[in-house]
This record gives sequence, structure tokens and C-alpha cells, in this order.
Amino acid sequence: MSLLKIVNLHKRFGDLYVLRGVNMEVEKGEVVVIIGPSGGGKSTLLKCINMLEPPTEGKIILDGIDLTAKGVDLNKIRQRIGIVFQQFNLFSHLTALENITLPLRIVKKIPKEEAEKIAIKYLKKVGLEEEFASYYPHQLSGGQQQRVAIARALAMNPELMLFDEVTSALDPERVKEVLNVMEELAREGMTMIVVTHEMGFAREVGDRVIFMDGGVIVEEGKPEEIFTSPKHPRTRQFLSMIL
Amino acid sequence: MAGIGQFDFNLFIKILPDLARGAIVTLKFSSLSIIFGLIIGTIFGVCRIVKNLILPKIATAYVELIRGTPLLVQIMIVYYGLPAAGINLPPEVAGVLALSINSGAYIAEIIRAGIQSVPKGQMDAARSLGMTYFQAMRYVVLPQAFRNILPALGNEFIALIKDSSLLSVIAIAELTRTGMQIYAVTFNAWTPLLGVAMFYLMMTLPLSKLVDHFQRRIGGHESP
Ligand SMILES: Nc1ncnc2c1ncn2[C@@H]1O[C@H](COP(=O)(O)OP(=O)(O)O)[C@@H](O)[C@H]1O
Ligand SMILES: [Mg+2]
Repeated sequence: MSLLKIVNLHKRFGDLYVLRGVNMEVEKGEVVVIIGPSGGGKSTLLKCINMLEPPTEGKIILDGIDLTAKGVDLNKIRQRIGIVFQQFNLFSHLTALENITLPLRIVKKIPKEEAEKIAIKYLKKVGLEEEFASYYPHQLSGGQQQRVAIARALAMNPELMLFDEVTSALDPERVKEVLNVMEELAREGMTMIVVTHEMGFAREVGDRVIFMDGGVIVEEGKPEEIFTSPKHPRTRQFLSMIL
Repeated sequence: MAGIGQFDFNLFIKILPDLARGAIVTLKFSSLSIIFGLIIGTIFGVCRIVKNLILPKIATAYVELIRGTPLLVQIMIVYYGLPAAGINLPPEVAGVLALSINSGAYIAEIIRAGIQSVPKGQMDAARSLGMTYFQAMRYVVLPQAFRNILPALGNEFIALIKDSSLLSVIAIAELTRTGMQIYAVTFNAWTPLLGVAMFYLMMTLPLSKLVDHFQRRIGGHESP
């Protein structure tokens, strides 16, 4: 059984029809990369997966549980799905450490000292020394902030990680340090859905690449298939534009 | 005997302790009212923006009602009007109640603006980590909103200190009423009123400085 199954997902914002019937499955340990032009519904798809945006129609099935069904405890489910955003979204009034310990303490009810140990462990994991623990987000570089955001999501011990263009807001020289963390995570067997414009990452780390445009999956396949012999003209056009 | 418009230094020294007592009463009433006003304002400020059919309507009605009527009328309704409905309140309670309800409406607007000044991504991030809506509000959005609105809340407190002078109409011996009573006894208006103004300034000027300080601190490191 696949870890995540999306069945006929539709999403409208009023008159705006953003997702028009998306179907996909993600196996445990798989790294799925989503590419496509801006406005194609990629961010909306990720937000539907953890139900930050309730789907207009369709099913999101995580580990056999339909998240769109009534009576599902979404706050419990969301602990199993980590998401990292383009704009980092670190809590700006809290230090790096507190950003990680806050959800551990109030959501997982882990005592302060233990939560701090976990936080330090994950800060180290994303390559941040202990000294950064007491820094506020505005005192950190973009790359460091994004790594704290990844550590914050990982500390919740999720089974599935969603990455939404996490390097798009970074200075070019900071992109690598974040991609390295993600690559390491993929190697460890984390199930990941990664929306990105980093084609090198897609090729090397992705098990499968999905091209999304106009709210539908236009084409999907192994990275080498998509990048070397895309079948759909729209995929070809998109790739010729960004490669 | 000094005339009504003359400054009498000896009288001024003599009435200072009375005016100081009045100022303390003023501070007591405005402090209590800002605390209750904050509680009321936070509740109604959040109600104004929740996704709900009735709560925002109720909150909006409250804000419009209070902002659209004079505080003096509100004080008199609570003190003279409520007894008609069978609710008798001592003047102190009526005073704090009226001021709290009044400042609560203004604070609700400040809180609403403060919440909306926090980027939506903060709520998204909090919810994505498994926090409930109320946990996200309590631990993530409101602390940042409060930081952003501290200057506005300071100004509201300053306004409240001055507005509390209206409590003199329901016989609360706050600063303004104390001054008026001195005038009634001594027939010298200038001396006690100057003293009253001085005491108001002694309360409001440090607060203004504090507001400036907060304002600069926010300007210092605006969050992304
Ligand atoms: N909360 C929202 N309300 C209204 N429209 C939205 C909202 N979120 C996204 N959209 C719109 O949905 C479309 C798809 O957006 P998005 O999912 O962000 O695409 P992508 O991530 O592929 O660039 C865009 O036109 C965007 O303006
Ligand atoms: Mg996007």
C-alpha cells in the first residue's frame, strides 16, 4: 500500500479553478519531484495534502486514512506530515531553538528539557551549530532560516515531508546548503514531495518527476525520461525555458 | 483672598497631596479598565476575523455601537440607566465597567489590525505542525500581533487616562473631580486646574516616551 494516495483532487478558490483532478500515489521512501510553471497549482496541491487548504472535491489518503472524511483529527494527522515553505515562515518572535521546541511542547506535550535536547539534535542534523540556537530568525541568513524550518518540521518525526520551492527565496550561494540537507534526508529514506526549480536536484535525488500545469498532472516519469525525452509538448516547452 | 483667575502658590502647595490622591484614583481606574479592555478587546478582535457566520457580526456591532456614541453617554447609561433594568452598581464598578467596555471596542480594532499584520504564513506554519487554531493564535499569532501594536495600545492607555476624567460625573473622586472640588471650596479655579493638568501630564508624558521607544524598536527589526 502506498503511503499517500491522492484521488481526483479538485480545488477552487471562488471562481478560480486551481486543481482540476489530480491523481497521484507516493510510496514509502520515494522522492517525488514536482516541476511546472508558476500558478500551476503546485503550492495548492501541497497545502491540500496536509489539509491546510480543504479540497473542493476528491480524496487524500495517508496510510489508509482518508483525510477529507468527517471526524478525522487533522491536528494529529498534520504531525505526520512535515511541510517547509518558500518563505521559511519561522516564528519571528521566537529563537531558533524555541521555534523547534514550541510545537514539541504544546503539540507533543514533551517536557521542556527533553524538547530542547531534540531541538539541538535536529539543528545539528541540518548543519547548524549549537550557538545558533539562541538566534532570532532575523539574525540568521536565509539559508540558515530555511534549515531551522526543516529542523522544526523534522523534529516532529513526520513520515512524509513536503518541500515547496524551499530554495527559491535564497541567495544563489545559499541554495546548496539547503539542497544538501534534503539530499541527506532522501538518502536516509524519508518520503518526500519536492516542488522545485532545481533541475539538478530533481535529476539526482528524485525517483520520479511530475510536470504540473493548469491544475493537472501533464506528464510524469523517471527523471531521465522527463528530462531527456519529454513526451508532452507543454513539458518540452517548459523544460526548454528553464534548462 | 486670591481671585478666581489668580495663581496662588501657597494654595498650590497645600492642595498637592489631594491632587496626588486624585491622580492615584485616576491611575487605578484607567489601569483596571485597560486590563479589562484588553481582555474584552482581544476576545472581540479575534471574533472579528474568525471564519464564522455570527461571531464577526456580533463583534462588529459592538465596535460600531461603542465608537458611534460618546463615552459620557455610555458612563451615564451604565450608572443611571442600568438601575432602571434592575441592575444597581456602585459608581466605582459602573465606572470601570463603562471605561472597559469603551476601551475594549477601540482595542478590538487595534487587535484585529495587529493580527492582520502578522503574515498568513505564520498561521500556516503553526497549523502544519499540528497546533490547533487556538494554540496557533495563542502562541504564534497574538504574541507577534501584540509586539506590533504595543505603541497603539500605549496610546490607547494615554487616551484612557484622559477620558477617565469623565468619571467625575458619577462622583468618582478622580483627578479632575478633585480639582473641581477644590475650586468649589476655594473659589480659585486657576490654581487647582493648573495642578490637575500638571498631574495628567506627569502620567501621560512618560507613557508617550515609552510609546516612542516601542515604535523605534519595531522600526528597528521588522520581521519578514
Ligand atoms: N488562498 C488563495 N485564494 C485565492 N487564490 C489562490 C489562493 N492560493 C492560491 N491561489 C491561486 O491559485 C493559483 C495557483 O497557485 P499556486 O498553487 O500557488 O501555484 P504554484 O505554486 O504552482 O505557483 C494562482 O492563480 C493563485 O493566485
Ligand atoms: Mg508555489
